[in-house]
Amino acid sequence: MNKYTLSKRQVVNELSTFYSFLAGFLIALIIGSVILLIQDKSPIDTFSLMFKLSIGSVNSLSSSLNKATPLILAGLGIAIINTVKLWNIGAEGQIFMGAIGVNLIYINFQLTSSTSFIFLLLVSAFVGGAICILIPAVAKVLFGVNEIITTLLTNYIVIGLTIYLVNGPWKDPGSLNFPAAAYVGKEVYLPTIFGKLSYGFLICIFFTAFAHYLKNSSVFGYEMRIAGGSEMTAIYAGINAKQKAFFAMLIGGGFAGLAGGIELLSQTHRVSTGISQGFGYTAIIVAAITGMRPTGIFLVGSLFGALSIGGSVIQTIGVSTYIADIIQVSTLFGALVIQFFFNYQLKRADDG
Amino acid sequence: MSNKFLETKNVSKTFGKIKALDDVNFNLYKGKIHGLLGENGAGKSSLMNVLSGIYQPEKGSIYLDGQKEKILSPDIASRLGIGMVHQEFRLVESFSIKDNLTLSKSNIYKDNFLKSFKKYSEIFALNVNENEIISDLSVGEKQKIEIMKLIFNDSNIMLLDEPTAVLTPQETSQLKNSLVTLAQEDMKTIVLITHKLKEIKEFTEIVSVMKNGKMVAKDLPTKDVTDNQLIELMMGAVKTSTVDKDNKIGQIKLNVENINFIDEVSNIKKLEEINFHVKSGEILGLAGVSGNGQVELANIISGIEKIFEGKIIINNKDVSNKGVRSRKKLNLSYIPENRLGVGLAPGVSVIDNSIVRDYFHTKLGPHLSKNKTSNLLESLIKQFSIKAPNPKAEISTLSGGNMQKLLMGRELVGDPDVIIASQPTRGLDVNAVDAIHNLLIDQRNKGSAIFLISEDLDELFKLSHRLLVIFEGKIVKSFNTTDANINDVGLAMAGASE
Ligand SMILES: Nc1ncnc2c1ncn2[C@@H]1O[C@H](COP(=O)(O)OP(=O)(O)OP(=O)(O)O)[C@@H](O)[C@H]1O
Ligand SMILES: [Mg+2]
Repeated sequence: MNKYTLSKRQVVNELSTFYSFLAGFLIALIIGSVILLIQDKSPIDTFSLMFKLSIGSVNSLSSSLNKATPLILAGLGIAIINTVKLWNIGAEGQIFMGAIGVNLIYINFQLTSSTSFIFLLLVSAFVGGAICILIPAVAKVLFGVNEIITTLLTNYIVIGLTIYLVNGPWKDPGSLNFPAAAYVGKEVYLPTIFGKLSYGFLICIFFTAFAHYLKNSSVFGYEMRIAGGSEMTAIYAGINAKQKAFFAMLIGGGFAGLAGGIELLSQTHRVSTGISQGFGYTAIIVAAITGMRPTGIFLVGSLFGALSIGGSVIQTIGVSTYIADIIQVSTLFGALVIQFFFNYQLKRADDG
Repeated sequence: MSNKFLETKNVSKTFGKIKALDDVNFNLYKGKIHGLLGENGAGKSSLMNVLSGIYQPEKGSIYLDGQKEKILSPDIASRLGIGMVHQEFRLVESFSIKDNLTLSKSNIYKDNFLKSFKKYSEIFALNVNENEIISDLSVGEKQKIEIMKLIFNDSNIMLLDEPTAVLTPQETSQLKNSLVTLAQEDMKTIVLITHKLKEIKEFTEIVSVMKNGKMVAKDLPTKDVTDNQLIELMMGAVKTSTVDKDNKIGQIKLNVENINFIDEVSNIKKLEEINFHVKSGEILGLAGVSGNGQVELANIISGIEKIFEGKIIINNKDVSNKGVRSRKKLNLSYIPENRLGVGLAPGVSVIDNSIVRDYFHTKLGPHLSKNKTSNLLESLIKQFSIKAPNPKAEISTLSGGNMQKLLMGRELVGDPDVIIASQPTRGLDVNAVDAIHNLLIDQRNKGSAIFLISEDLDELFKLSHRLLVIFEGKIVKSFNTTDANINDVGLAMAGASE
């Protein structure tokens, strides 16, 4: 009886994630092209227009990078949590909580120095995100409740809370019928570096480096990896596995919260349901494509930021913006399939 | 003797290089309880798996009632009336007793379930409602349901793989009564695998013995064989020890005083009044069939298990209330029996696994520098001749022997004062076994105090100066390996009382 079995490769090419991403992106472009052709649109024209409108000028490039910032930060948070082999599906909610944290502190405190006030607000954003994941984290370490479900559910709760706040206590009478909180003052706007590029992107670079260090070179990161690999090995090594999982979740939630804070202070300038356009979900795709590598998240996050900007402007030539979403999701799909063949090989076996 | 009900002829099964079954002939007789004895790894479970259609032998044939049968799958086995209870539970934990008992399509009591359940509950002295969920049952109750499942699936041949290993002595004697009833009244043909001679004596009429994949004795009438004969068959000839044991013995390094331990979950006493010490340069062996408290004892000494009675003293320091790390700092190393899962973390790279013992030391920190860690791994690889081509590869890509060398190397490289080595050569090939033995002897000569836990008597006789035997959580005997008889040790391991 000859059967084929899949066996794990002994040695996986170190750049395999990168190659899978490239292949996945290529597959996505092909899928996108087919869809465009069905609609009688020229793929080449569409893609070159998207390219031009997303990175063709200083302004468009800075818009793309601004767009990338929350994707990258939330993606980094997901990657940190994944070091202990846990999944954070709640980045979307944590982004909202980050923004809520900012507004809460903003309306209750006032600092004269706008630099230190901005700093305080960003810290509150981080704390907001961490608080958002607190209940899933406690439920996980104390009772083993599946974090995928709980983090997902917190999204709905937090978005509900946002709707309540912007229709109730925080509703800005000046916004007429649009439910939103009042704008924050110009003194706490994040300044720009050049063009429209916000300082948020600089913070994002800094946090990418920090996440890279945390995951790959710190003792804490090492302890997280062991705890994620086997709780028994962790206990054997004298590592408190549950404690590591708990802090990993809080830090990861904080990253996403910071994304929400930066989005508020640099883009929307007020709390509304439009703080995030699904950044927390796209961030999952970004993190998964890159195999949870911070540098990869930075690069793919930037690309995805550009794709959304490109996608949002091609409406002008009558192409649906969803073409950008299709490309993003197909990239993940393609990359995961290709990655699978990097990790496994098909072998003939005579015996089960 | 009556006619053979089931017969295997020259059945062979190999796994890679290991001959799990080597031309095995085995007979079963209707309505009798058969004992099957053999050391760990002798091939007992493999033979049962062949009979129940889980493994396909490469060679040999099986006859049922004189008819040649090909048992290609568990399904076919169950149609032929052969059922097996595995060493580990295979019940659906979240289902009720009734669902588990009636799950299989070969089930015969679907219609009059309650009546039969009552009847067999009585035979098994089982006192639970049929709607109870499996996960709420005690271990003993689960075992009864496992066996009852065979009856509900109309198995006439019941293969029981170490069913008593998880039972208390009371539950065991209850089980004996139930099995005798089943054999006599229902004409069930039963195979009982156990490591305890007492159970072979009490339960079975016929006994067979396996060693290294071979059937070394079959169809022995239980009442006519002595414990000594059985042990001799199981153990075979003693290999002569070639290790010099005249090395220098120094001061006491590890002291274990009055350890009592009750398992919290099952509320069963796992260790009772354990006392011993190990000196520098000495190897103290602990012999015993697995599951008699060895893992618990090792966990208590290493600091993993924190709630126990008694004292652990390392290098004259009482560490009973100290954690894993402070014991490591007193230079204790622990090589756990569960290599991948405890000693090494699956899913994590070779290099990460190579620093589990000392990662928190400043010599690597504060930032776990890539250079320092890879230098450390490289020197481990060289010193212990480990084959690990890619440091970033996942640990389970290494062979068992190389995994064990990495684990040993990691734990031994700092010349520890005390070493707990649990089943250090289990599942390894001859060359790897030799390499591991040499490592332990080198370390002994450097002055480590070594506590060696093993099921392999050849290994214990070869390496250790003294030998303790653990049985049901108690140290039942101690020997000097130079003048001990291996059969006496085997008898003590099997719980034979003099
Ligand atoms: N599925 C498998 N794959 C590889 N090797 C196996 C497999 N099953 C058994 N073996 C090997 O075959 C040999 C016999 O194993 P088996 O489980 O039959 O022993 P056993 O007598 O039941 O031992 P124990 O008393 O420990 O249960 C051992 O060397 C074991 O490692
Ligand atoms: Mg077995």
